[in-house]
Amino acid sequence: MTVWPLKFRERTDGQLLFTDDAGGFFVGSHRFLERLAKNGLSPADQLFLRNNGHAFEQVGDPDWLSFAYRWSRRQSKQQDLSYLILVPTLRCNLACDYCQVSRAPESARGFDWSGETLNAVLAFIGKMKGPEIKIEFQGGEPLLRVDLLEQVRSFTRCKFPSSQFVVCTNLQRLGEREWAFLDQADTCVSTSLDGDSATHTRQRTHDHLTTDTFFRNLSEAVRRLGPGKVSALPTLDVERPPDFNDLVDNFERHGIQSIYLRPINHQGFARRRRSEPNSIARWNQLHSDFIDFLIERNYRTDRYVEEYYFGQCLRRFLRSGADDHVDLRNPNFFASDYIVVDHDGQLYPTDEARMLSRIGRIDLSIGTVADGVDRTKVLLLNSASINNFDADCIHCVYQPFCGTDVVDDLSRDGRVDLARSETWFCKRHISLFDKVVEIISRRDEAARRSVAKWARIPSWGDHMIPVHA
Amino acid sequence: MAEPYVVRLRSFEGMSEESHDTGALDAALESADAEAAEFTGATGKLRLFGVDPSEVNGDVLFVVPWRGTAHRIIRANSRHNTLLVTEQCDQLCVMCSQPPKKQHIDMFPFFETAVLVSPKNSTIGISGGEPTLFKSELFDFLARAMSTRPDIDFHVLTNAQHFERDDLAFLRRLDLTRILWGVPVYSSDTDVHDRIVAKPGAYDQVRRSLSLLCEAGAKIELRTVLMKPNARGLLDLAKFVTTALPFVDSWAIMQLENIGFARQNWDALFFDSSAGFDVVGKALDFAISRGIHTTLYNFPLCTVPTDYRAFAPSTISDWKRAYVADCADCSLRNECGGFFEWHPKEHGYERFGVA
Repeated sequence: MTVWPLKFRERTDGQLLFTDDAGGFFVGSHRFLERLAKNGLSPADQLFLRNNGHAFEQVGDPDWLSFAYRWSRRQSKQQDLSYLILVPTLRCNLACDYCQVSRAPESARGFDWSGETLNAVLAFIGKMKGPEIKIEFQGGEPLLRVDLLEQVRSFTRCKFPSSQFVVCTNLQRLGEREWAFLDQADTCVSTSLDGDSATHTRQRTHDHLTTDTFFRNLSEAVRRLGPGKVSALPTLDVERPPDFNDLVDNFERHGIQSIYLRPINHQGFARRRRSEPNSIARWNQLHSDFIDFLIERNYRTDRYVEEYYFGQCLRRFLRSGADDHVDLRNPNFFASDYIVVDHDGQLYPTDEARMLSRIGRIDLSIGTVADGVDRTKVLLLNSASINNFDADCIHCVYQPFCGTDVVDDLSRDGRVDLARSETWFCKRHISLFDKVVEIISRRDEAARRSVAKWARIPSWGDHMIPVHA
Repeated sequence: MAEPYVVRLRSFEGMSEESHDTGALDAALESADAEAAEFTGATGKLRLFGVDPSEVNGDVLFVVPWRGTAHRIIRANSRHNTLLVTEQCDQLCVMCSQPPKKQHIDMFPFFETAVLVSPKNSTIGISGGEPTLFKSELFDFLARAMSTRPDIDFHVLTNAQHFERDDLAFLRRLDLTRILWGVPVYSSDTDVHDRIVAKPGAYDQVRRSLSLLCEAGAKIELRTVLMKPNARGLLDLAKFVTTALPFVDSWAIMQLENIGFARQNWDALFFDSSAGFDVVGKALDFAISRGIHTTLYNFPLCTVPTDYRAFAPSTISDWKRAYVADCADCSLRNECGGFFEWHPKEHGYERFGVA
C-alpha cells in the first residue's frame, strides 16, 4: 500500500490536522504521526488511510483513480471570458478616506470614456462568446455616466438576452433616470456600507446629512429592487472598527445576510496612510472575533448571517468546486473569465491591478479594449499565479484549499518572490483556515448551527470530521 | 403469419409536431365507437379496445398480430419512457421490483424503430433485468439511436457487472453527455452489498466498473435503496462515495418500493426512516458537505425533518402516485411525492402526519 503525501499542523487542542494534496483531511494524534513517519503503520492505520482516501495499492486502481479525480477537481480551470468590470468614469461625488480607486473629482475632465472607447467596449462585448455574460459597472461613481451605462446595457441585452448587470454605486445621488436604470429585472446594486452611521460618516461622507441621504437611498433601493438584489460591503479600519452589533443590524435591516468584511485596502489612495506592521495580526484577530460574534448572535436570533469570505473558505475546505470567488482559487488564471476595462480603455486583469498601475508603481495593464488582450503579459502573470509548486505552499496543510494573489504581493511588497509565509495573503489565509478548523470542531450547538448554515447543509456534528487516533 | 411490428398512433390529422419522416410508422385514426378505435397505416389495420383515441395520440405500440396484442412502449405525453431490454439478470437483489426471468426475447430492432418516433427532447430509460447482459447489442443500439435522434437523452439502469477495459474505446466514441448511467451501490461493506444483490464478488466488480466509467467520462447516478440490511451503514457509505466515488454526478438514496421481492420480504426489509432518520440525515450531511449532489427519492415529506426536505424532491410520477387518508389536509401535498400507488395503506412510518 502506498500512502499519498500527508501534511499536518497542530491544532489548539494538541491534536493534528492532516491533509493531502487532493483536499482530503482528518484529525489525528501525535502517536499516529510517529507511526507514519517511522514506517510503523498498524493494520488499523492502514485501513483508516485506505477508507479515508489517502492510499492506494497500484497505480491506476480505483483508489488511485478516485484520488486523481479529487486532486484534479481541486484545480480551477481556465474559462471563457464571461464577466466584464467596466469603469466608464473615474469621477466620483464622494471623497472617501480610503478610496481604493484613485478617484477623480466630480468636475474633473478627461476621466470618462471617450466615444471611441465606448465603441471599442461595445465591439469587445460583441465578440464575447456568451450566452450569459455579467457586466459590473465600477468607478468612480458609474451613475455619473448613466448615459454610458444605458448604451452598454441595451447593446448587451440585444446580443446576450440573459445577461446580468451590477452597478457598484455609492447610492448618494439618484434622480429619476438613475432609479429607472437600477430598477430592472436584470440589474443589481452593490454598495458600500461601513457598519454604523458614525463610521460611515467618518470614512465616507464626512457629514451626517449626506449619510442620512445614503441610508434613505439604500432603503429605497431595497424597497424598489427587492432584498436579494442589493448587496453591500463594509470596509473596516482595523484601528477603529465599528460596533459589530450595529454593523450586522444595519445589514440585516436591509435584507442582507451575507457580509464581506474587507480591511482598508493597501492600494490606491489608501496606501498613503502608513500601515502598521502588525496590522495583519490585528485584522486576523478582528475577523476571528467577528466570526465568534456571528455564531453567538445567529444562535440567539435564529437568523443566520454569514461573513461571505469565511463562508467561502469553509466551503472550499470541505469540498472541491467552490471556485467562484476570484481571490480564492488555484491556479488563478488572469484574463480568463473576467477582465477590467478602465476609464481610458486600458485592460487590467483585476481591479486591484488597475489601482496599482494608477499610482504608477508598476504597469499591470494587459492591453487595450480596442486592440485586445496582450497574451504575453497575461502568461507572465499566470506563471506566478499558482501555489502547487511554491516552495512554502507545498508544505502547507491548507494548500489545496488556498489560492494565490500575485497582485496583492506586488502591491504590498513590490515583488512576487517573497517567502510566501511572509506575505499578507498567506498570513490572512492561514488565520482564516485555522478559524475554519477551529469552529468545525466546536461541539456547542451555537457553532454547529452556524457551521451547518454556512456550509449549506442541514446539520453539523461529530460525524462530519474523520478522526483517527 | 404477420410479423410483430412497431407503430405510432395518430388520432388527429395535422397534430404532428414530430415532423420526422416516419409516415410509414404511423397509423391514423379511422373510426371510433364506445368499444374500440380503428387505426390504419402502412402496416395495416389495427383495432384497439378500451382506449380513448384522444389519449393515445402519438403513443408508440409494439404489436404482435398473431397473438392479437399491442403493448404501449412509448407514452407520447411523458418525457421519460423506459424500454425493458431483458428480464434476465445476473443478480438477485433481495428487494428486486421486477424479479428476473429465464427467457429473453431480443427487442432491440423494435426499440430502434420506437426511438425514431419518440417525443422530442425526451429521455429514454433503458432498464431490465440487466441490460448489459446484451452489451454489444445495447452499445450498437445506443450508437444508432443517438445518431438518428440527437435530441434524445438516455438513462441506462445497470448493475455495472459487465464493463471491461476493452469497452472504453467504444464508450468514448459515444456522446457521453447524453447518457446517464444509473448504478446501484448498497453498502461500502463488501459482504453487505454482495448479500443484498446475492452475488459474491459483485461489490469488487461494481467498483472496477465505476472506475472505468469515470475514465470514460461517463455521467453516473449512484442509486442506493434504503433497507434494514444497509441502513446502519449509510454514513459509512456516504464517506465511501465522497472518497472512492467522488466522480458521480448524483447520489439517490431511495425508500423501498412495495413491489416484487420487496413486497414478499417487506418486514425484513422496510426501514422506517421516520423513526430512524438519524442514519439518513448524517449520510446526507456528509455527502452534501463534500460536494456530492445527494437526494432522497420516494420519501414522504412529513417523514423527513424540516431541514432536510429541500433534498427530498417529489419523485413518483403522478400516474403512479397515491396519498393516504392522513394526507387530505396536508399543506405540503403539492410538493410531496406521496406513495407509490401499490404501497400498503398501513404504510409503516411511525412518525407520519400533517407536516
